Amino acid sequence: MMLEIEALQVRYGRALILQGLDFTVAEGEVLALIGRNGAGKSTTMKSIIGLLRPSQGRIHFNGQDIAGRAAFEIARLGIGYVPEERRIFTDLTVLENLEVGRQPPRQGRPAWTIERLFALFPNLATMPNRPGGQMSGGEQQMLAIARTLMGNPSLVLLDEPSEGLSPLIVQQMAAAVRALKSEGVSILLAEQNTNFAAGVADRAVILQTGHIVWQGSMAALPGEGEAYLSL
Amino acid sequence: MIASLIQLLTGMAEASSLFLVAAGLTVIFGVTRVVNFAHGSLFMLGAYIGWSILSRMPRDPEYFALGVILAGLATAAIGAALEMTLLRRIYRAPELLQLLATFGVVLMVQDATLHLWGPEDLTLPRGRWLRSAVVILGERFPLYDLILIALGPIVLAIIWMIFTRTRWGTLVRAATQDRDMVSALGVDQRRLFTSVFAMGSGLAGMAGALALPEASANLQMDLTAITDAFVVVVIGGLGSISGAYLAALLIGILQAVGIIWLPKSTLVLVFVVMAAVLIVRPNGLRGRKLTAARGEADTIASIKPASPSLKLAALATLAIAIAAPFVIGPFALSVLTEMAIAILFAASLHVMMGPGGMASFGHAAWFGIGAYAAALPVKLLTVSMPIALLIAPIAAGMVALAVGALVVRLNGVTLAMLTLAFAQIVWAVAFQWSDVTGGDNGILGVWPPSWAGPQAMYFLALSLCAGGALLLRKMLYAPWGFALRASRDSTQRAEAIGLDTQRLRLTAFTLAGSAAGLAGGLAAFTKGSVFPTTISIGHSVDALVMVLLGGVQTMAGPIIGAIVYTGLFDALLLATDLWRFVLGAAIVAIVLIVPQGIAGLAKR
Ligand SMILES: Nc1ncnc2c1ncn2[C@@H]1O[C@H](COP(=O)(O)OP(=O)(O)OP(=O)(O)O)[C@@H](O)[C@H]1O
Ligand SMILES: [Mg+2]
Repeated sequence: MMLEIEALQVRYGRALILQGLDFTVAEGEVLALIGRNGAGKSTTMKSIIGLLRPSQGRIHFNGQDIAGRAAFEIARLGIGYVPEERRIFTDLTVLENLEVGRQPPRQGRPAWTIERLFALFPNLATMPNRPGGQMSGGEQQMLAIARTLMGNPSLVLLDEPSEGLSPLIVQQMAAAVRALKSEGVSILLAEQNTNFAAGVADRAVILQTGHIVWQGSMAALPGEGEAYLSL
Repeated sequence: MIASLIQLLTGMAEASSLFLVAAGLTVIFGVTRVVNFAHGSLFMLGAYIGWSILSRMPRDPEYFALGVILAGLATAAIGAALEMTLLRRIYRAPELLQLLATFGVVLMVQDATLHLWGPEDLTLPRGRWLRSAVVILGERFPLYDLILIALGPIVLAIIWMIFTRTRWGTLVRAATQDRDMVSALGVDQRRLFTSVFAMGSGLAGMAGALALPEASANLQMDLTAITDAFVVVVIGGLGSISGAYLAALLIGILQAVGIIWLPKSTLVLVFVVMAAVLIVRPNGLRGRKLTAARGEADTIASIKPASPSLKLAALATLAIAIAAPFVIGPFALSVLTEMAIAILFAASLHVMMGPGGMASFGHAAWFGIGAYAAALPVKLLTVSMPIALLIAPIAAGMVALAVGALVVRLNGVTLAMLTLAFAQIVWAVAFQWSDVTGGDNGILGVWPPSWAGPQAMYFLALSLCAGGALLLRKMLYAPWGFALRASRDSTQRAEAIGLDTQRLRLTAFTLAGSAAGLAGGLAAFTKGSVFPTTISIGHSVDALVMVLLGGVQTMAGPIIGAIVYTGLFDALLLATDLWRFVLGAAIVAIVLIVPQGIAGLAKR
């Protein structure tokens, strides 16, 4: 298993937000983390990348325990994080944003280059020197993903990539996720949009107020997933 | 005309020096969001280290350049060490604690410098090239000043290139905006911060060494440099390098030209210009609104009423205070009087900082204005003590009202720096306007009338101070106090329910200033004299340490803090001549270990 999470608990102050999660992500797999607003999807991702410190539980990545390590160390091990709010550096141009994400290539994997990323997201290619603050939401989302890929991650945490985007851009995002998967990149995808998840994910985990209430193959989800979400 | 051209050039040379110091400060602030008070100390260390290097080398220009660079590298290393040992631990602390902790470093560096290099000013023997001049429009203008003039824009260009053309610079700019994201992308932000700190410190150190040919290395240059740098950085806009250059030009030229028009009031001119700029552009010439969401209110939380046991303790303390003079000797009595005054001083700052949420770093200004306002009428007009003690709070309150009207709109660190700058200006006025204030010699013989002996003065101080503190407390629990705290916690919400937040803040500011003024007036009579040192940064910091030592969360905090601090400080003065070092280390330790203060500690 590439990512193994056991009994993960996270608190904000006194509030116990994640109340013991167990799930895994296999090499090359796309796992959808599905849940309503406030279910704890983003909290899960932040604790994996090291921006939040878990209060209990284990997080293993390629056999190494990474729980509680500094974010930059976790990122260098090969986990990429695309936050929900995108967090583009608005003063920096597209190329400069990409530069911040750049890390050395990893063995046995083709490195991401600016050219390859511009091929994946042709919109970005038309605005290499535009400041991040002057881009549309969809463009920022593309840039956020591209910036993370510059680190050549083997696992990408993708937090609600379809949120607030027009259907056309959502389709582009889905295509990009599939392209990543075909490159062998594993993806942990947080989503409320089950349609989007259904189009790209292999398996799903349904999260409700910090608990996992269902997990299984994506194919088994339809109907059941909606039922959980509408609870 | 020619005179003014030369003045202009002098101003531009001055601007370059100002810029070098301010650039380092603003770069460090931009990334780490820490206002490093010790930046002036790095400047001073640069000068001393530079002197040690340059005075051992041949006096040729190339050796001079080498020496300046070496001094810069040495201070960069010191800065990196400082970042790794102290600053790294306080990045998430409230601004005021950061300022305070780094001021602790200022004190430690002062004593260390004194012991390493001695008390004398150190001047550099100047090589011939340093004494040469060029003739501009028939006037001789120092060659070295021309070099300085060129150096400002050159350094600006180099910094700009580094920030826009290198990976390091790109990372730094990204971290300025969102450190956590930079870290999640695999960048070790700790090392990034250390390197930024080293760079800023190196710039300060180089500026210190560059100042040697025209001034000496001395023990006062740290505070002068940091005050100037604060002014430049605030005018330019926190975090903006080009803004710092513009502001340095503005201030440098203003000072050089102002000396002709208003020889004794260049500092006042600077303050007026600063206030004017901030009224038009509250974030400085090229600054932007800071998005840092770390409000003071997070940590400096609610004011809780005293518990019954605390009230009992307060009554007991008061009883002891009333009985004490009949038992103790004259020295102990003078310490007690000092404590009573310190309590009022600290309690007044507490109103501003705690419930008011306004970080003041220049509280000694009000104390000093009160002291001079009481002493001057006595000396010049032979006014009686009661009237003088009435004038003191009124005068301080009026000045506080005028200054407050300009500054209460500003927040956090800008306000702290402005109050500090204002206090420095009051200090300079007291220091320079010697015809009236006696300058450094102060005003002597401000004795109380014969009916008021030490004991009577003690009771007067005790009753005024206890009364003042009680009054402040009463106001804080009255509707006004609640409204004030509401506007501290959320300006928007307070305004939504119809509170005039600016007015509330201004009232608190004025009240605090006036109470501190009364404390100052009392101090003048109990000491019999007033000196400019009552307005020094050190004295402002005394008040801050008292409040923070006691804890900001309770009304008891400043009182406990004032008693403990005054006692410890007097003991420290008697015990060691390294008192600055010990005090500085103690301040750093308080911030690191008990940021919530003694009263906060007792609550746990
Ligand atoms: N900084 C914070 N402090 C306190 N509580 C927080 C904080 N951030 C999130 N929470 C709480 O943690 C819970 C989980 O939040 P999280 O952001 O992980 O949800 P989510 O599943 O990502 O929701 P969404 O779909 O809205 O993004 C929520 O109840 C939220 O209120
Ligand atoms: Mg979320």
